[in-house]
Amino acid sequence: MSLHALADHPFAAPRSLAEACALLAERAARGERTVLLAGGTDWIVEQHLAPAPAADAPLPLVADVSRLAELRGVAERGDAIRIGAGTTFLELRRDPLVTARLPLLAAAARDVGAIQIQARGTLAGNLATGSPAADGVAALGALDAVLELASVRGTRRVPIAAFYTGYRRNVLLPDELIAAVEVVPPAPGSPFAWRKVGTRQAQAISKVALAAVAELDRSEGPGARLTRLGLGMASVAPTVVFLPEVRALGLGRPLASIDDEALAAATLAGISPIDDVRSTASYRRHVAVALVRRFFESLRAPS
Amino acid sequence: MAPVVGQAVPRVDGPAKASGSARYVDDLTRPGMLFGATLRSPVPRGRLLGVDRDPSFDWSGVTVVTAADVPVNVVATIERDQPVLAAGEVRHVAEPIALVACEDRLRLERALAHLTPRIEPLPAVLTIGEALEARTAIHGADNVMKRYAITKGRGRDGLTGCEVVVTGRYETGAQEHVYIEPQGMLAWWEGDDAHVVGSLQCPYYVQKGIKTVFGLADDGVDVTQATTGGGFGGKEEYPTVVALHALLLARKSGRPVKLVYGRKEDVEATTKRHPSVVEITTGCDRDGTFRAFAARVVFDGGAYVTLTPVVLSRGALHATGPYRWDDVSVEALAVATNTPPNGAFRGFGAPQTQWAVERHVDRIARTLDLDPLDLRLRNLLRSGDTTATGQLLAESVGAQRCADEATWASGYRNRRGAGPVVAGRTARGVGVACFWHGAGFTGSGERYLKGRVAVDLLPGGQARIRTASTDIGQGTETVFRQIAADALGVPMASVDFAIPSTRVVPDSGPTVASRTVMVVGSIVEAAARELAERVGREAERSGSTRAEAHERLAGTPALATCEKQYEPPPGLAWDDATYTGDAYPVFGWGCDVAEVEVDLDTFETKVTGFWTAVDVGRAIHPVLCAGQVEGGTLQAIGWALTEKLVTRGGKVLNPRMTDYIVPTSLDAPPFTTLLVEEPYSRGPGGGAKGVGELPMDGGAPAIAAAVEHATSLVLDRLPLLPEDLFEASGAARSGGGPA
Repeated sequence: MSLHALADHPFAAPRSLAEACALLAERAARGERTVLLAGGTDWIVEQHLAPAPAADAPLPLVADVSRLAELRGVAERGDAIRIGAGTTFLELRRDPLVTARLPLLAAAARDVGAIQIQARGTLAGNLATGSPAADGVAALGALDAVLELASVRGTRRVPIAAFYTGYRRNVLLPDELIAAVEVVPPAPGSPFAWRKVGTRQAQAISKVALAAVAELDRSEGPGARLTRLGLGMASVAPTVVFLPEVRALGLGRPLASIDDEALAAATLAGISPIDDVRSTASYRRHVAVALVRRFFESLRAPS
Repeated sequence: MAPVVGQAVPRVDGPAKASGSARYVDDLTRPGMLFGATLRSPVPRGRLLGVDRDPSFDWSGVTVVTAADVPVNVVATIERDQPVLAAGEVRHVAEPIALVACEDRLRLERALAHLTPRIEPLPAVLTIGEALEARTAIHGADNVMKRYAITKGRGRDGLTGCEVVVTGRYETGAQEHVYIEPQGMLAWWEGDDAHVVGSLQCPYYVQKGIKTVFGLADDGVDVTQATTGGGFGGKEEYPTVVALHALLLARKSGRPVKLVYGRKEDVEATTKRHPSVVEITTGCDRDGTFRAFAARVVFDGGAYVTLTPVVLSRGALHATGPYRWDDVSVEALAVATNTPPNGAFRGFGAPQTQWAVERHVDRIARTLDLDPLDLRLRNLLRSGDTTATGQLLAESVGAQRCADEATWASGYRNRRGAGPVVAGRTARGVGVACFWHGAGFTGSGERYLKGRVAVDLLPGGQARIRTASTDIGQGTETVFRQIAADALGVPMASVDFAIPSTRVVPDSGPTVASRTVMVVGSIVEAAARELAERVGREAERSGSTRAEAHERLAGTPALATCEKQYEPPPGLAWDDATYTGDAYPVFGWGCDVAEVEVDLDTFETKVTGFWTAVDVGRAIHPVLCAGQVEGGTLQAIGWALTEKLVTRGGKVLNPRMTDYIVPTSLDAPPFTTLLVEEPYSRGPGGGAKGVGELPMDGGAPAIAAAVEHATSLVLDRLPLLPEDLFEASGAARSGGGPA
């Protein structure tokens, strides 16, 4: 464990988003590594687990972005809700806009680690670390969030489904940071599900987690159809997955016509779980199928 | 003066711990202190050819210790097979090979990274099965460390002619203590005198280890307990190793050295609960009356003997469960494997064998189509019965009362009779387990130990208890003050508790075996009573008040102190050669009822209710006593449902609290804790018996029984992970599709 090397890292505390972007650009141009530190709930733990860096190894600059006002806060913007990337999970689960309009995100925030982690951990940290078990990423995936990436070159918007390129890899360029996420909230009262199958009630990393939202057109009575469907599933692949096959199967079709077997096949098509220290591939496949099936059962149940 | 025994007085150590002012070993420092670290084996077994220092590293200011620096390379416990530092052969992953110390912790880490053991790997034995096969011999020719046999009546022959014979096999895995504070010691030398302060349960065990290695006399070693953040048995034998390492570094460097483990290192290197395989065959009548019991108990001792023989003994002695059997045969053996030595852990072998027997009783009930509670009630031990070792249970047998209270409070019969409650995709069920736990050392242990306690009268109406029984979070400091205050007839605030240091306190024996309150507490009580009598006599003689008499005695060194030695109850007889007689002075008894809810899709088990009735003789402090019961039960719930040490090639793959899953407060069920008091005539405070380990015995089998009730899935191997239930359900074979 090498927390003893923490103090040896160069450190910066940019005072604005523009300053942070400038710093990143400058260092990226020189090929130097920068660690953006917000809550520290991932990076500090990684340092704790890593071997001590060699005495002559170049250490990355640690830039504290936790106090940047531009990265905080939840606000309505048109049809969407914009959440500052530095918003903590505790803020999310307490925010009136989030609890009223994005109850799925509030529910997921409540299951991240435990209250101490929630008080420090941020949405951007969860997204940038990109753990395949990230609760926040599964919820944002189900909500089809769009990420706002900022740099000195301006801002670009990337749908969450296009953000990850592999295990803990994403499309962020060395001079970019995640500034915000935007989510179009489902119609009020829309059904949603958050189910974290973990090892215990708190301080758990999921074995499988499912985030799901749907909008339902019940005007045709028994022929009710999904007009919106979003899913995010954690711990079943190298990245959080968004189950496009299940979305394709579910959208637009009468709910009653979607059978469990097709649903299971579509779920399994979207995941590639492994045996690891936390669970087994076969258990994960079984649970993934069961959670998706349960969500559809809840949709079919008369409301 | 109103008695304080029986009152839930505030914990004496509470404010310092709650406010953060209590100082644990990691908070301590000494001028010139170095930090120490340990180089460990990466392989489970191999020939150690040497330890290479990278010549490109700057070794100035770095102290390195290897086996060559150890005067007598032995960790003195029962056998002398464990080296302080490996020499010649390494026998388990994470075995200490060399030690490093320097001033700066970052440099220390780097130094450690530039030190490499040169090891030629040898074939390793990693499981009980491999050890028994003995294709590779690592301990004698058969890998057997220790063997016991217990026979009552006709032994195994008693099975012949029984109306119903049932056979089963039951297994348990390793369990990590997860004390909140990892192992740690601060050591220094003053001339030839060794000093250590640290996190420990048994100061005199550490002292013995140091005397052996450095050839010192009693007064050349000072072992002092720092505030200790939990032990659960994990700080019974292992702190000796840490203390020796710190002292070796301190001796070579000439500086004080602090050696504190990180969590990962602690989980990888220190002791665990012994994994076990228990095979039981029983015979009974068709009505469920138990007749004959035969078991083969195998424990995994790990790479060195350490305390395994005593753990195995306790396991064997509890193997029959709290039931009457005419004929008994228990064959118990411990085998060696190339894994870190398994050691003391709350329950000390008894939870493993009681898991087996309780699961087996459920199997008998299934076979006979009887209610598991009825079957138990028919066979529970009563006053006047004899145990497997022929011990006559003369007094304080609360088995029946505990069963009645727990099952009544939980509404067990209604819940059980109603069948599993299935609602949507969840099912609820209830299960019951009965258990017992011998209090105090096994057999002649207390007679050999001769535990001692001193109580001093101090000026100003004060008194002080001096004992080596440590408070490691369980509340000893508070409870001993209660006992002494009542015996002395003074307020509790007038009684102090000396910091356990081998230069200050007499050897009360180790802080283990549920003996602290019952055995050592009774010495505290006897010494305090004698002082109270002295004060009374002095007051009478001089015609003064008791307060004046107290001051006069406190000022007279020959009269101010009473040191007492434990007097084992008369008439106790134990024969080590035949394993017959009075195994324990008395037993604690208990009955657990668990209610669980199982998710039929994810196979997650949630404990939704837990009722536990335990016969503790007398609760000196009802809240602390219930705390022991609930904490111990939660530890049992963890062992049952989530705690699995995952290993590959003898290496722990989940040495972190992220992946080694102990329950959180949210996982704790609502507890109904019923303290049953069947006083023990020799127990302090009006009849207290041991309680520390008892609650570890019943939780796991009660939960397994409840899971079985809810799901019809019969699981006989711990832990019961969702993945195991899933496999057992057969859903796994359907290829992961819809269940």
